[in-house]
Amino acid sequence: MTEVQLLQTIGMSVVGLGGAILLFVKARFVRVMAFVAIVLGAFSLVALSVPQMASMPPAVEKIDVASIKEKKELAAIGQKIFFGKGQCALCHTIGSSEGRCPDLKGVGAKLTREFIYESLTQPQAYVYKDYEHVGQAKFFPAKMPYINKKPIGLNNNEILAVIAFLQSMSGEEVTINLSELAAPGPAGSGGRKDL
Amino acid sequence: MRGPSLAVKGGILLAVVFAALKFVLPLFTAPLPMSLIWLYLFLATIGIVVYGTLSAESTEALLGPVFRFLSGEGIGGMAKSARLAVLALVPLLVGWQTYSGLVPSSQPPAENRTIHPAPPGEFVGLSNPVPNTPENVMQGRGFYSAFCSPCHGAKFNGNGAASDGFNPPPANFSDPGTIAMLQESYLFWRIKKGGVGLSVEGHPWKSAMPRWEVELSDDMIWKIIMAEYAGAGQKPRTWE
Amino acid sequence: MEHMRNQKSVYAYAALFLVLAFAVAMPVGLAWAEDAPAGAATEYRDIPGMGSRNLIWIVAQQHLLLAGFVLGVPIFAWVCEIVGVRTGDQRYDKLAKEFTKLLTSSYATTALFGGILLFLLIGLYPKLMNYLSDVFFPSFLVYCALFLLETATLYLYWYGWDAMQGSKKGLHLFLGFLLNVFAFFIMVVPNSWATFQASPVVIAEGSMWAKAWTATWNPTWWPVNIHRLIANVVLGGYICGAYAGLKYLMAQNAEERVHYDWMGYVGNFIGVFGLLPLPFAGYWLMREIYQYNQQMGITLMGGFLSWLFILQAMLIGILFVGSNYYFWLGIMHRIPGSEARYRRPILTMLVILLVCLGVWMTPHSLVASLEEARKMGGTHHPLLGVFGVMSAKMTVANLMILVTFMSFIMYWRAGKEETARWAKVAKAGQGVILGIAVIVVVVLGVWGYFVPAITRINYFSTTQVLVVLFVLLTVTPLTGLLMKSARTTTEMVWGVMPARAGYALVLNAVMVILLMTLMGYARSSSRVHWHVYGVMQDTSQYAYSPALGYAAAFMALNTFMFCMLVAFIFWVATLGGEKKGGATDTASVKGKGATSPAAGGAPVPATGRQ
Repeated sequence: MTEVQLLQTIGMSVVGLGGAILLFVKARFVRVMAFVAIVLGAFSLVALSVPQMASMPPAVEKIDVASIKEKKELAAIGQKIFFGKGQCALCHTIGSSEGRCPDLKGVGAKLTREFIYESLTQPQAYVYKDYEHVGQAKFFPAKMPYINKKPIGLNNNEILAVIAFLQSMSGEEVTINLSELAAPGPAGSGGRKDL
Repeated sequence: MRGPSLAVKGGILLAVVFAALKFVLPLFTAPLPMSLIWLYLFLATIGIVVYGTLSAESTEALLGPVFRFLSGEGIGGMAKSARLAVLALVPLLVGWQTYSGLVPSSQPPAENRTIHPAPPGEFVGLSNPVPNTPENVMQGRGFYSAFCSPCHGAKFNGNGAASDGFNPPPANFSDPGTIAMLQESYLFWRIKKGGVGLSVEGHPWKSAMPRWEVELSDDMIWKIIMAEYAGAGQKPRTWE
Repeated sequence: MEHMRNQKSVYAYAALFLVLAFAVAMPVGLAWAEDAPAGAATEYRDIPGMGSRNLIWIVAQQHLLLAGFVLGVPIFAWVCEIVGVRTGDQRYDKLAKEFTKLLTSSYATTALFGGILLFLLIGLYPKLMNYLSDVFFPSFLVYCALFLLETATLYLYWYGWDAMQGSKKGLHLFLGFLLNVFAFFIMVVPNSWATFQASPVVIAEGSMWAKAWTATWNPTWWPVNIHRLIANVVLGGYICGAYAGLKYLMAQNAEERVHYDWMGYVGNFIGVFGLLPLPFAGYWLMREIYQYNQQMGITLMGGFLSWLFILQAMLIGILFVGSNYYFWLGIMHRIPGSEARYRRPILTMLVILLVCLGVWMTPHSLVASLEEARKMGGTHHPLLGVFGVMSAKMTVANLMILVTFMSFIMYWRAGKEETARWAKVAKAGQGVILGIAVIVVVVLGVWGYFVPAITRINYFSTTQVLVVLFVLLTVTPLTGLLMKSARTTTEMVWGVMPARAGYALVLNAVMVILLMTLMGYARSSSRVHWHVYGVMQDTSQYAYSPALGYAAAFMALNTFMFCMLVAFIFWVATLGGEKKGGATDTASVKGKGATSPAAGGAPVPATGRQ
């Protein structure tokens, strides 16, 4: 018997038992409880009658430097980090002005990779008040956090992957070389030492 | 009492609703799935019960005949044998229902496929990096006719030469229920990852859409998307 | 003496719950014994057999339902108290007091479940709790402070009830007001934790207060606050109704029947009035979710959880039909001789309600066999597919609200005759307002198919909501004015409702509780495999979201447990003296409440009937 069939059997039994109580028992309180049980059993049966689907979590992914063969793959990893672990998309948008912080559409074309790197690791070093350089200076409600420190804490490889994504989604050539990625291990992730 | 009792009227109403949904409606459009017909019958039953039990008199008119029939009080002749038949049939029906629910069958289970499931997070916030210029759209149309039109049709209506081979059929872009209610980033995801990239509620095994990331560059995909909107006369959905 | 008995029962009751707490804590202790691998911090602990998530699910749901009740009842009681003072009708004061009495014992139970929940969370989900404590610690302190204030106010409010009658009544009302203010903030603070999990914002460095403040102001915080506040009023009202319904069914004499019949009416009335604006609040919340993250929005409305909203439509539909049914039964039974006059309008309203419900419940992606799906060309029906989209759902929800409102207006006016000279004009005006509103709602609903989604969401749906609110806000005072000078042609007779009215009240309460458990599941599984959406992934073995059927069985179980718990609390409260509650002095009430919308007419004991 599958889980659904088991639950259906239980639901049916509850409804049946409730019905029997309504037919044969006179005590008002018991009758009302039986009525409630029938309603709840029927509700469960309705929910069990539609095709059942559980939503499975995706496998936890780790960056495996050795397996990255193309810059395209690096950008794809960067895309996942941008919208996931890196939390960039909590504030930044790409191609929409609704966000709480500057829109990043075309940012890979406007800024050098060094500038982007500095913006991520030393966000207060050089701040554009108005990202578009036109009109009045704009203030944004949130302050850029350090991406290489807690709580976000991306390592160097992950930051490079995000930069690769920003460049590729701006239609630019990715300038991160795969040889720049540090091999897994404690070394090579500069910003993480001062945690 | 004037006319037939409320119980009879209610039964007739249910039968009429059922007949209309099951037999009359298919004359005009695609037949309704049974799940939906049951739903409407359930609502009709609620209506009959609510209306019938508003006052003491109408409750008697609705439920009285039913109870009398079931308990066998003051009925005779034909009705008596009908009552016995019903009382015998109900357990048989329940048994049959249980049996048919448990018996292994070669019929596939009913499906509940979400045609446009939620895209993965990393695609939601993307925007089209390719500027919408006539040249780019023209290029996109070229790619479209090479890669997409065999199934989705040269007229963007899902009626390509190969479309008959597929169930579910290829999406019809001129239908306002498809690309018009989606964003460009959604199309980007579907083209790039194909049928196998769908989440479980989208039934990845049901879509024949290829995983185009293997063959097309991102640039080409974005251009195809622009061509699809332009060709089908639709606009991407916006949120602001 | 009475106090002594009261105290004793409270002790017995506390002991019972301690036993319960131990029963829950034992397996947790077992789980704690499992050691984490050396060197790594423990991220999760499990409870063998039951599963940690299932236990959290039950405890959290009980806590939340109780909390909803404990926050809803003070609003309910306070409003009743005010009505009592304004109309001079002692019944309301008695009713308010009766419910405040229930409040003291349910308050303790809520806190108890909250404590169990907290210990379980710390024990079973240390990684998550660690993160949340880092972010929210200052608001934990605020929460504790609020709790102290709330407790003190509650005791003053309850124990000072009789002492503060008469000239000090104003002070008592002020205490009730304070009680509600604190209760509101007690709800608002934990809401920020829960909504942060669903819609986190980036936290930059700063003082711990600054961090907590930033995290508190996340995009879904206020929509959830408003939604829950209204829902709590609804819950309080309907539970009051169910309590009265049950008591009515079990009543021993005509006096009790009259009292509980009236109480059931008041509960249903408050529930319905909370229910009317609730869909708007839900809509606003949904919009914020979509704006925050479309992935989450689509998961809820169009993806994995879309069938959940069909179930929601079913429950809300039954709630609407049930509430209307109770109004209609009231007209039919409490106003003798009204059947012939009201049968036809009731039938019309019923048909509109059911047609709307049919549209609301028609899913976008249908459940179909392979054969059926092939004939439809997919899981969207070519004709009925139009019912599956938001424009249709919004329209019928608005229409259902209007119908329910008209039901109430009809009940209010039943058995009375307007004497004002301008009555004809006013009634015609109301008809025109209603007619125009219906036309506007339907036209916008149909038009909504032909405009871009964003126009529909920003302008059409908002206009529909505003039009319906306008009807509610104009017709109610107008009817109130009319009724002020109206002549009562047929006196209402209380205590003659059939048994099914009592069951209808119980059914409505069950629907509201089920809806809350359903939405709890929706809120939790819309985060899919995240503890904190997009920030902290759930890596435990329970990261998956269970299928709807399994979840529904859990919701049913939770609802039943809550019903039993509430019944138990109510029963314990009756142990402590004051045998008949407020049923004793209904006979002394004069026929005064005819003009108050909540009074529904003066009670006349049904002598000679039943």
